[in-house]
Amino acid sequence: MMYMMYFLLFGLVLGLAAVASNPSPYFAALGLVVVAGIGCGVLIWHGGSFLSLILFLIYLGGMLVVFAYSAALAAEPYPEGWGSWPVLGLMLGYLLGVVSVGTLFSSSMYDESWMVCDEFGEFYFVRGDMEGVATLYSSGGFMLAMGVWVLLVTLFVVLELTRGMSRGTLRAV
Amino acid sequence: MNPYILTILLFAMGLGTTITFASSHWLLAWMGLEINTLAILPLMCQSHHPRAVEATIKYFLTQATAAAMLLFASITNAWITGQWNLEFMSYSLPTTLVTVALALKIGLAPLHAWMPEVLQGLDLTTGLILSTWQKLAPFCLLLQINPSNTSLLLILGLASTLVGGWGGLNQNQLRKILAYSSIAHLGWMILVLQFFPSLTLLTLLMYFVMTFSLFITFKVNNSTTINSLSMSWSKAPIISSMVPFILLSLGGLPPLSGFMPKWLILQELTKQSLAPLATLAALSALLSLYFYLRISYAMTLTMSPNILSNALPWRLPSNQHTLPLAITTSLTICLLPLTPAIITLLTL
Repeated sequence: MMYMMYFLLFGLVLGLAAVASNPSPYFAALGLVVVAGIGCGVLIWHGGSFLSLILFLIYLGGMLVVFAYSAALAAEPYPEGWGSWPVLGLMLGYLLGVVSVGTLFSSSMYDESWMVCDEFGEFYFVRGDMEGVATLYSSGGFMLAMGVWVLLVTLFVVLELTRGMSRGTLRAV
Repeated sequence: MNPYILTILLFAMGLGTTITFASSHWLLAWMGLEINTLAILPLMCQSHHPRAVEATIKYFLTQATAAAMLLFASITNAWITGQWNLEFMSYSLPTTLVTVALALKIGLAPLHAWMPEVLQGLDLTTGLILSTWQKLAPFCLLLQINPSNTSLLLILGLASTLVGGWGGLNQNQLRKILAYSSIAHLGWMILVLQFFPSLTLLTLLMYFVMTFSLFITFKVNNSTTINSLSMSWSKAPIISSMVPFILLSLGGLPPLSGFMPKWLILQELTKQSLAPLATLAALSALLSLYFYLRISYAMTLTMSPNILSNALPWRLPSNQHTLPLAITTSLTICLLPLTPAIITLLTL
């Protein structure tokens, strides 16, 4: 069963390198889809089913879809993906960096594993994620209000940054 | 900008710093830093011209990177030690990562490259907010963590003083000079952080006062290059006569108040048997002094060749609020005798 986790985490690192190495937003968003999906798998493995559901629904199904539509509006006729050498070189460079840092930090390859299959400490998720959200609404009321206020401020910030449809600067460049 | 939006954004900036000040949990500290970054973005691209937007984007990218590093470090710390408290980071990897992340946040060398370019794209008031208010929250965090490695902070500090000195030498854009001056002063603050944190706070507050007066002076003269300062003596003679003192105070010359932090820091470094480092830092202050002197030379000490009628403009009453300038200029010049009182007040 550890192999399942190996594959999941391997795919996660690949997807992250894909996000970082692709200059075109289409392929980078595709990498994000892969990363989020695999992250959901890892979360479910540790018992955080609610958090995984929220990740899929809101992150992938809400925010990433909106991002994909907005990116499609700023369409690029010839997006550069892994087919072009600079992007592929960057991707391989990132993977090399991850592998080298990993070997730097691992003490041995035999008696220690990168995978944790045990639940330990605070990261035992069986009730953690749902209880966490419930706590935010009950005793964490002040932080909930703070979070709501900050989201509203973020809305104003985004509106202010993108003000002036074609006269604004984000279209001028 | 719409005054309601401006109010909301300034309130959010205050909120972010307050949250970071009040936090003992890393997530909350990160949250405060993010709120600060977010709220200043529209203030930075207010004028909506491409240079300002470029500065905004650069600022956002660097600050987001730093915040992500901060988050990685705090999660690593939680993974290793099982707790999220700010003061109890005892392992070296998270502590080093946090220090580097905060160094990127405030613009210490060698993570300083964004600072001159970002400041150059902003108007002077927003640049002032960036140089002063946005440094408060990261410094609050830096003052609270246990440094993992003695030499990391010393290297960051010394590199910042040297880069701040050398980088500012070839500039004639005032905002870039102010950026390099900021980098140099931040270097001095970081040098003494692990030995005597109260001096870091003292240097930070003194730097705020001095740079506030310089920014507002440039704003009152509406000048962003050294050349445009050269005719300011005829429009605002009193301000022009005070500017050399402000600049020499920034350069750290006695008997002005800017000498106070440098003096105390050199004393503390010597007490810690770091006399060669103290010598290097003092010599690097000479580099900064050169470009401060150049500004005062252009502004006050020489009169550029000009026709006679330009030396006699009508001096109409200004609509600018110069009371803060008056207060901070007085503090920049006269605070040195109050050194013992200030140290006592700022003891952490």
